[in-house]
Amino acid sequence: MYGGDEVSAIVIDVGSYSCKAGYAGDDTPKCVFPSVVGSIEQTGDTDEAKPEKEADSGSDPKNGSKPMDVDKAKTKRKFYLGQELEFRREHMEVISPLKDGTVIDWEVVDNIWNHAFRRRLLINPEEHPMLIAEPSTNSGQQREKAAELMFEKYKVPALFLAKNAVLTSFASGRATSLVVDCGGGSTVVSAVHDGYVLQKSAATSPIGGEFLTDCMMKSLESKGVVIRPKYSFKKKEVRPGDYKVVDLDFPNTTDSYRLYCMRAIASDIKESVCRVPDTPFDEVAYANVPTTSYELPDGQTIEVGADRFKIPDILFNPYLSQTIPGIDGFGDSTSIRGLPRMVLDSVNRCDVDIRKELLSNILLSGGLSSILQIKERLEKEVLEESPQNARVKVLASGSSMERRFSVWIGGSILASLGSFQQMWFSKAEYEEHGVSYIQRKCP
Amino acid sequence: MANAASGMAVDDECKLKFLELKAKRTHRFIIYKIDDKKKMVVVEKVGEPALNYEDFAASLPTNECRYAIFDYDFVTEENCQKSKIFFVAWSPDTARVRSKMIYASSKERFKRELDGIQVELQATDPTEVGFDVIQGRAN
Repeated sequence: MYGGDEVSAIVIDVGSYSCKAGYAGDDTPKCVFPSVVGSIEQTGDTDEAKPEKEADSGSDPKNGSKPMDVDKAKTKRKFYLGQELEFRREHMEVISPLKDGTVIDWEVVDNIWNHAFRRRLLINPEEHPMLIAEPSTNSGQQREKAAELMFEKYKVPALFLAKNAVLTSFASGRATSLVVDCGGGSTVVSAVHDGYVLQKSAATSPIGGEFLTDCMMKSLESKGVVIRPKYSFKKKEVRPGDYKVVDLDFPNTTDSYRLYCMRAIASDIKESVCRVPDTPFDEVAYANVPTTSYELPDGQTIEVGADRFKIPDILFNPYLSQTIPGIDGFGDSTSIRGLPRMVLDSVNRCDVDIRKELLSNILLSGGLSSILQIKERLEKEVLEESPQNARVKVLASGSSMERRFSVWIGGSILASLGSFQQMWFSKAEYEEHGVSYIQRKCP
Repeated sequence: MANAASGMAVDDECKLKFLELKAKRTHRFIIYKIDDKKKMVVVEKVGEPALNYEDFAASLPTNECRYAIFDYDFVTEENCQKSKIFFVAWSPDTARVRSKMIYASSKERFKRELDGIQVELQATDPTEVGFDVIQGRAN
């Protein structure tokens, strides 16, 4: 039997912003690092932008101490993960493996897993059962691909795929709830009933933490603020306590890396000063709100005024983003809805009998849900729109740690339950029934 | 995953006590808990028929999860004696995440053992199992 006390399972959740990995049974993930990777094209061979990777995945017998070399040999890209991203490298592009919550580049995901197992957790994946958290809207194909990679390349002894929303729901002690997951790359609302995601109810929107970060950045830029990435300047102490900033020039830095560094700063500004306004944002009413100051890495201090409220309000009212110069709205603008609308639409797509229960069990999770006042505002707006006799209750864990890592924590507990051990999709079953059996084992 | 995640066994006593409550009406409420060592759901407490809702509410611990069955007697507007059997999944916010998770994931399997539940509630604070909620759901 796997798991239990002897060999603990590994829980890994690759989100669109950060990747969380750690041992089952722990309170928080052992390692958290960005889900984006730096990639440098290896010159010499073909100049194809993206070498096809499907063909040779799984045919890699080597798994030793030098995973990076293996990757280099296999493809024409060299990857830099985690802390390696902190250093600027010539021609390094920053790429994300996910788009709208689903994987588009398996090679990068593979590298992220590898990094988490071998360089962060320092484990041999052949010895640990793996529990992978997946988006609620994951397709059957995606699941099979993940399972195949895990069994063939990492040779894991057992695997389980669990839906994000289900894990969040369990972690808060409910088998039935409406999970509102405000993540980095997207916001997903899905109803969970008795431990199953109701697929029809799942709604996604591209407005996540990163979108708000972009809005923040553009909005500041339009006001004349220049965010200088950390690598692009050097501070010199001219006199004690007095610094002079010298610009450095690196012509070979890619745009994507520059953007990545600027986003890191803008994201911190957002997290430091923003809060959701109590009522819909109104340009006139908020024109004179007191500003909050923020010191940029290069020493200049900026004042953030109405944007403190305007940026988070985009979650509730997506059209506000179109008033920010440089943000090119959404192509198909009718499909983007505010958070309360998404919640209600999602509830309305469920069976009449459980709607009431869903409304009184709205669970808020994900990194973006740590923003101040979001819970109160959501509760208020949903209440205004919902049927009169409904009890609306939005729940969010008190600690921001639990909100950020709710999916991972749910997985951690699930995988450590003694009684869960019979549920694993084992290697033997994989060999006997093939990869499509995952659909049966992990509904 | 509902039945999947569980795997917690159910003590025969749970079913027995429930049947007694349903058929012979010898209990007002039953409180169940998950015994971590035995890995099964066991009966923690049973309430006399003479006890009322307040006694039931007081039997739910403030920072631990439980399952509970409550037999609610009431008189309808047509002056008709009726009773409804409530199932309550109690998981207060202050409970440990781990236990919340175990209770939530084992609930489905456990509920299937108890045939005859009429109303189901999940509650994280006392207001969600308030008497008014019970009254509201009974109709």
